[in-house]
Amino acid sequence: MSAQPFLPDNTVEAPGKRAPLVLGGNDFASVTEKVCGIVERPRPPRAWYVAFAISSALTALLVAVVGYLFLAGIGVWGLNIPVGWGFDITTFVFWVGIGHAGTLISAILFLFRQKWRTGINRFAEAMTIFAVMCAGMFPAIHTGRPWFDYWLFPYPNQMYVWPNFRSPLLWDVFAVSTYFTVSLMFWYTGMIPDLATLRDRATTRVRKIAYGVLSLGWRGSGRHWHRYERVYLLLAALATPLVLSVHSVVSFDFAVAQLPGWHSTIFPPYFVAGAIFSGFAMVITLLVPVRAFFGLKDLVTTRHLDNMAKITLATGLMVAYAYGVEFFMAWYSGNPFERFALANRALGPYAWAFWIMIGCNVVAPQAFWFKKARTTPWMLVGVSVLINIGMWFERFVIIVSSLSRDYLPSSWGYYKPTWVELCTLAGSFGLFMTLFLLFLRFGPMIAMAEVKSVMPAAGLERGPHHGHGQYWGEIPHQHDPQKGDARP
Amino acid sequence: MMSQVSGPVSEQRRLGAMGERLWRGAALAGVVALGVSLGVAAATPDGWRRFFFAYLLAFAYVLSLALGSLYFVLLHHLTNSGWSVVVRRIAELFAGTLPFLGVLGLPLVFAAGELYPWARAGFVGAPGKAAYLNVPFFAARWVVYLAVWGALGGLYLRRSSAQDVSGDASLSVTMRRWSAPAMIAFALTLSFAAFDLLMSLDPGWYSTIFGVYYFAGAAVGVYALLPLVAFLLQRAGFIRRSVSVEHYHDLGKLLFGFVVFWAYIAFSQYMLQWYANLPEETHWFVVRQQHGWGWVGLALVFGHFLIPFAALLSRAPKRRPRFLAAVAAWMLVMHWVDLYWLVMPAASPATPALHVVDLTVLAGLVCLLVAAAAFLARGRALLPEGDPRLAESLAFENA
Repeated sequence: MSAQPFLPDNTVEAPGKRAPLVLGGNDFASVTEKVCGIVERPRPPRAWYVAFAISSALTALLVAVVGYLFLAGIGVWGLNIPVGWGFDITTFVFWVGIGHAGTLISAILFLFRQKWRTGINRFAEAMTIFAVMCAGMFPAIHTGRPWFDYWLFPYPNQMYVWPNFRSPLLWDVFAVSTYFTVSLMFWYTGMIPDLATLRDRATTRVRKIAYGVLSLGWRGSGRHWHRYERVYLLLAALATPLVLSVHSVVSFDFAVAQLPGWHSTIFPPYFVAGAIFSGFAMVITLLVPVRAFFGLKDLVTTRHLDNMAKITLATGLMVAYAYGVEFFMAWYSGNPFERFALANRALGPYAWAFWIMIGCNVVAPQAFWFKKARTTPWMLVGVSVLINIGMWFERFVIIVSSLSRDYLPSSWGYYKPTWVELCTLAGSFGLFMTLFLLFLRFGPMIAMAEVKSVMPAAGLERGPHHGHGQYWGEIPHQHDPQKGDARP
Repeated sequence: MMSQVSGPVSEQRRLGAMGERLWRGAALAGVVALGVSLGVAAATPDGWRRFFFAYLLAFAYVLSLALGSLYFVLLHHLTNSGWSVVVRRIAELFAGTLPFLGVLGLPLVFAAGELYPWARAGFVGAPGKAAYLNVPFFAARWVVYLAVWGALGGLYLRRSSAQDVSGDASLSVTMRRWSAPAMIAFALTLSFAAFDLLMSLDPGWYSTIFGVYYFAGAAVGVYALLPLVAFLLQRAGFIRRSVSVEHYHDLGKLLFGFVVFWAYIAFSQYMLQWYANLPEETHWFVVRQQHGWGWVGLALVFGHFLIPFAALLSRAPKRRPRFLAAVAAWMLVMHWVDLYWLVMPAASPATPALHVVDLTVLAGLVCLLVAAAAFLARGRALLPEGDPRLAESLAFENA
């Protein structure tokens, strides 16, 4: 761990002032040095190797159990009628949800001019990409016959076999693949100036070629920047509806059904709120140790953590609202099946999972009402890990508790995962972490160009500018409202 | 327009005599319109029943504008927003009408028997439902909602006005601190008010998203109301320098965003119930697709979503205050059509035709809303002059 100088508290923002987002006397050169230095050091730190060894071992485990699944068929999972979806779809929804924070930070917070996003967006977007990759794996493997996966795509074929366009499962294919494509473009486009910085500083031939190819001939000319910023804005505008649509379509997988506990009109916004909730918890879980480990506390400041915790709390309250409305409406409806489904959820055989969910998703985040919890690293990570657990269980509760007891008591059952499913879940974390560690090693994990644009020096040189360049720190008082000269 | 303004203190920030005229005139017009409505109700067969439904509809409409304004005020304190300061007073004034709207809302309790099947003797609903849907409990809840809204609306207007005089920055801190619990209270009261007031018109129907649906309409309402009122004020010679095209641009973006959000919520509700095709849910939509009501639904698809979507998509229209104000006025009409589509099939499933009393009551309550807001504007500046973020808002640019 590198030593950090004393950093002032930037979490308090007096009305009319904007707190600085980069601390510790950094200038443009030191930001470049710091972020590139992580990638350029000849060897990663020992802890990186340890983490990489663990996560790649888990990835190997994933390959093994998925291989076993393909050889033996999905009988090796605990799924059976009536519970045809279990760990597979639970974990799919979980990973899709994790991705949402990255897109929210990169797109929606950009449109809302939240300058603090510059410190964390690259990191969170990378997380989005890897999470969606982990998610995309599950629909592909959950039939146990990946050699038929191409049937998912509607293409003219001599078998005259088409997927069912009325099925949300097919909409999912489009929604998730669109989301992945746009997220990848957004992430990569945003990274080009930083990749060019790495190229310009590269000392070895391999790095020169690799970063040279990846930076697409970026020269940093005024014209490049102009186009870059336009594309960035357009991609943000395209990605914003995707944040809502992807998890809405995932929620349709359940909500279009007639199954009590699945069929609820609030599912789309509720799933979106839950996705952002879990995604922010994952960003906090990963970012807090990484910023400490790589000495980035002056770029990812306590203010950033404070803000993320607040968004986590807000989305957590939305999720709690949805839980509450579901219970109220089940009772209000007077529909005995609805009432049973929700009572069964809280008191039935899966009550243990339900109460884990409530404890982790409703009770735990209330800690974020207190500033101490929002600014103390171990508390942040503790609450965030609980939220991640809770959000996995939320999907488990929705899927399994409803399926296990439907309209016909004679077909009720109890689903238990097998070791294969548990290993697949663990392995998906391994895959996610492996990709993530590789990114930390080879990519610029902080958007240098964007961070520089919110440093005082940028504002003094360039004046107020769209999205990427607006001076934060002291507000310049050249416009005196008393004199009525608001418009320059 | 701007060229008329010159000199150091160069804009009119108080309504002054015009405010007096406005509130008196609007109040008189409102009372006359309600009087006419009562006359029409008494003179036409089945007129009272229609009058009560028209009153519910018009009240739900003006209430959504005031609640949307309250939401705007709370949200912008919660996020410590800088750009919006110059238009926040307009929202504060409309949210400040909530105590007055509370008084106007009380008669709905007495009309419950006319409006709600569950409030009539002999109604048999699902078992246990009477524990929630009964007149005393309904009245108690309604009073609580109105009290919470009135308290919050009044509080934020008073605090902000006090800051005009004192310039005390700590008031901003207090308002921000209270905005988070206030937002929770707002979300819960708005949702349950939507269930009680509108959803229970058909006591057999239920939709978990319904509270969000009413909220989405209220948000569209406020993001239409603010640019329209700002435009009208500027045209009348007020706050000409402070509110710039940049603020219109941002309000236009938010209006656009919430037009899409409303469509998303409306689609979610419709598609999921249509798809599952459960009779206990679809009967609500069946009523809204027969006997001409389907045309109202289609009018919403186009008028509440596709047309404003196309109109506001590009940058230029949002930066033309006159055009934006026209779209905003259109959206305020469509928001009313949306509520008409929610409420009136309960009164007249056989035809979507307008009744004259629908319009007179609407005119009455809208005039009273404007009168209340203008009354509150007396002696107050039209923008929060003491807000420490005012300089940031004045200097704001989209670039």
